[in-house]
Amino acid sequence: MTTTDARTLPPAEAPPAGEIPGRGRSRRRLTAGDRFIYLLTAPVFLVIAFFVVTPMLHTAAASGQGQGLAANYGTFFSGSARTALMLSVGISLGSVVLCALVGTVLAVLLTRFEFPGRRVLEVLAVLPMALPPLIGAVSFVLLFSETGIVPRAAHELLGISAGAVSVRGVAGVLLVHTFTMYPYFYLTVAAGLSGMDPSLEEAAQSLGAPRWKVWATVMLPMLTPALVSGGLLTFMRSMGSFTAPQLYNVQTLTMQIVATRTGGMYELAAAQSTVLAVVSIAFLLMMRWYQGRRIHRSLSKGIQRSRTQTRGIRSALALAGSVVLSLVLLAPIAVIVLVSFSVDRTWTIQVLPPDYTLANYTRIFTDPASLLPINVSVQTSLVATCTAVVIGAAAAWIIARWPGRRGGSLLDLAVMLPWALPGTVIGINLVTAFGGDSPSSLGLILVGSIAILPVAYFVRFMPLVFRSTSAAIAQVDPSIDEAAQSLGASPLRALRTVVLPLIAKGVIAGALLAFVEGVGEYVASVIVYPVGFAPLSVAIYQRIYAADFGTASAYGTLQIVLIFIILVVSNRLEHGRRRRRSMGV
Amino acid sequence: MRRLAPRFTALSTLAAVAVLATAGCGLSSSTSQSPGQTTVTVYSPRPSNITDYVVKEFQAAHPEYKVQLLTLGAQEVADRVNAEKTRPQADIWWGGTPSQFEGATAKGLLTPFGADVLSRVPAKFHGTGDAWLAEQQQLQLIAYNHDVIKAADVPNDWADLILPQYKDKILIRDVAPSGTMRSVFSALIYQQYAKASSPQAGYDFLKKLDANTKDYAANPSDLYLRLQRQEAALTIWNQQDILAQAAKGAPFSIKVPASGTPINLDGFAKVKGGPNAAGADAFAGFLLSEKTQAWLAKNAFQIPTVAISEKPDWLAQLTYTELPVDSKVVAANSDTWIQYWIDNIKNRG
Repeated sequence: MTTTDARTLPPAEAPPAGEIPGRGRSRRRLTAGDRFIYLLTAPVFLVIAFFVVTPMLHTAAASGQGQGLAANYGTFFSGSARTALMLSVGISLGSVVLCALVGTVLAVLLTRFEFPGRRVLEVLAVLPMALPPLIGAVSFVLLFSETGIVPRAAHELLGISAGAVSVRGVAGVLLVHTFTMYPYFYLTVAAGLSGMDPSLEEAAQSLGAPRWKVWATVMLPMLTPALVSGGLLTFMRSMGSFTAPQLYNVQTLTMQIVATRTGGMYELAAAQSTVLAVVSIAFLLMMRWYQGRRIHRSLSKGIQRSRTQTRGIRSALALAGSVVLSLVLLAPIAVIVLVSFSVDRTWTIQVLPPDYTLANYTRIFTDPASLLPINVSVQTSLVATCTAVVIGAAAAWIIARWPGRRGGSLLDLAVMLPWALPGTVIGINLVTAFGGDSPSSLGLILVGSIAILPVAYFVRFMPLVFRSTSAAIAQVDPSIDEAAQSLGASPLRALRTVVLPLIAKGVIAGALLAFVEGVGEYVASVIVYPVGFAPLSVAIYQRIYAADFGTASAYGTLQIVLIFIILVVSNRLEHGRRRRRSMGV
Repeated sequence: MRRLAPRFTALSTLAAVAVLATAGCGLSSSTSQSPGQTTVTVYSPRPSNITDYVVKEFQAAHPEYKVQLLTLGAQEVADRVNAEKTRPQADIWWGGTPSQFEGATAKGLLTPFGADVLSRVPAKFHGTGDAWLAEQQQLQLIAYNHDVIKAADVPNDWADLILPQYKDKILIRDVAPSGTMRSVFSALIYQQYAKASSPQAGYDFLKKLDANTKDYAANPSDLYLRLQRQEAALTIWNQQDILAQAAKGAPFSIKVPASGTPINLDGFAKVKGGPNAAGADAFAGFLLSEKTQAWLAKNAFQIPTVAISEKPDWLAQLTYTELPVDSKVVAANSDTWIQYWIDNIKNRG
């Protein structure tokens, strides 16, 4: 199937600790490739500095005001702020482990094995991402709280006390995090696996290595960039997570920040936000260092491995497993759909809603203004995603091939910064930075204009494209594009014809994540959205606020359907590509 | 393999074309104004049954104005007005707690309404420097699910909430992120503070209340949902929201504590430098008219600050005494007290 030379660099050949691929070449004269990187850096760096870094500096600056720097940060040495910080870090680490487990297992299962129902599960696996943040939280309560469907059903059917089955506290937060964040691992690992050359595995196996050893010494090391990327996204997102801790009444740092703001102590809240960002950034640096130590790249052009066909009992087991998995994954979504057809306030002590209606949908479809929020969310997220793909992928490329010794990490931090901050802080940053004629905004006023929504989504979700692309690039050895260039291709042509096809899956995975998150984004949207253009999440919030869960769920269901269609279409495109590829086209 | 790059380019182009093709499509604001109209922008956390009515009636009475309404959470309105200070977008901030308005006043974000509007509200309902006005008074009281607990079994007073028979029967909206709950708990601590100049006895009471509290609900909707689904029977909340939910079919009732009920003021203000100052005054004048306030009292269970000649039945039948609170002492200590509650009492009772 392939004759391509493939190898992994053993750890001994890896660059020294902290080194990033490509940096070792800094003492040479600048090549055309290096000049190309520098040329590309200028616009990308400007965009990031302008939209991402400058607004963040406002928050850091604010944290020194009020009671003063020492007093604001001093709160972290004792009392509830310290406890909250420790709790946040603990929960985030726990979330990383759980998401890595679920996401990686699912990715391996779905990319390496062929069994009935696999294609359906491939779409379902990403669907929990589509869970609308606000109504999604309610669905977890309706499912797993003491009065939820699962404990009540367990009580009615098995006689187990509902309190014993219910989920609460830290376990609840971990449950919600695992459910909603494992796609960060699933998508990057699946992209990594399908970009991997099967000859590596075949070579190891033909040398007599048992299967577990092949995984431990060949496959997992090759997946390091994907795992690091998933770990980073999950850790930072958990640190900034607010809905789940609020729902399960766990006093994390984000809860503390909101409480501080409600008490009117904005400067203290800014200090707490800055600490949150610093912890996330420390984790980012640690992961970069770790990844730098374990570089395993392939020189291959990445041929799709054929799937393991399962037959007989194994096939039946796989089928049963995938059915159970689908049910678990779909449960929170099914609850939203169920509530969207139920009559508000009738569901009290029953296991399932007793009365059903179509009124929640007719209310939406008979009001012409109620479809506008869907339109606003889709269009602004699309614009944001396209921009994030251009800038995020370019930034990932620049950092991976950065010729200088310094600067790469700095740019990495700049891009990831918004991911480390709660959405509210980003929203307020943007409004502060682009609210009036200030020198840092170059006179650009976005407040009151619909353009501020795509900018907010771009800033918040570009890290997804960036990280996912970085993971894909890290698997590709720089000598591949250097070879193309030495054969006479321009750096741009080498990038377009050699590198881009190898990393396309990573870029698409990131873009998909960014778009889906954009459609559901609430916390920053509610601070920045202009009058008359409420995005979908805000429309859902308004219904929840009035305790009209039925209409809110109907909106939520429309959002899930929309994202489901997008997932099916992208899955189809992906399969079309694979088929043509396997036919040698 | 070589074909992949063009395919990727084609996909990106497709996405770009889709964006361009749909850009602007259907994205015209639902609130565009007609010729001769000026726009009044209102930021409000009030539920839609209230805002829809007031906005519709105001536009009918004042065809020269078009109202643009943004519905946000109360704290989000405060955040947004604060963030937009260099370029205010709102004319009116309708709905918020005294501490939110006083915070904005201290930052110079608000400006007094015209004399006509100010004169409609009694002086005791004016904020510092007339920068904001109270629109309604909310009674903080005990509320319950009458399907779960009989009226006779409901605690008579605040002190009864800590009796052993109510263990795990109380669900409370999480205190720290809620302006309403902050003021209730502050008022309860103040009762002890007024006697001994120390909040300790108040803390002790709240610790026992925490022991009886089954859980803290994430937000008001979560509170209603869990109360309705019989996770607990009792809560502490305001008369307006409970009666509004009951009117929609929730099995909720209220009980006024014997020793008195803390009264929260809920206000509105004119944003300084907002685009339509005259429109803000016109809207405020309409909101404070007796007709509007009488409708809100009858249909939205509000207790107005302006006098209305005919009280709706529910209000006429409601007897209550106010739990006395020195608002200056509470304002000075509230943050410390609530921080103490977060650090030492919540989930520890």
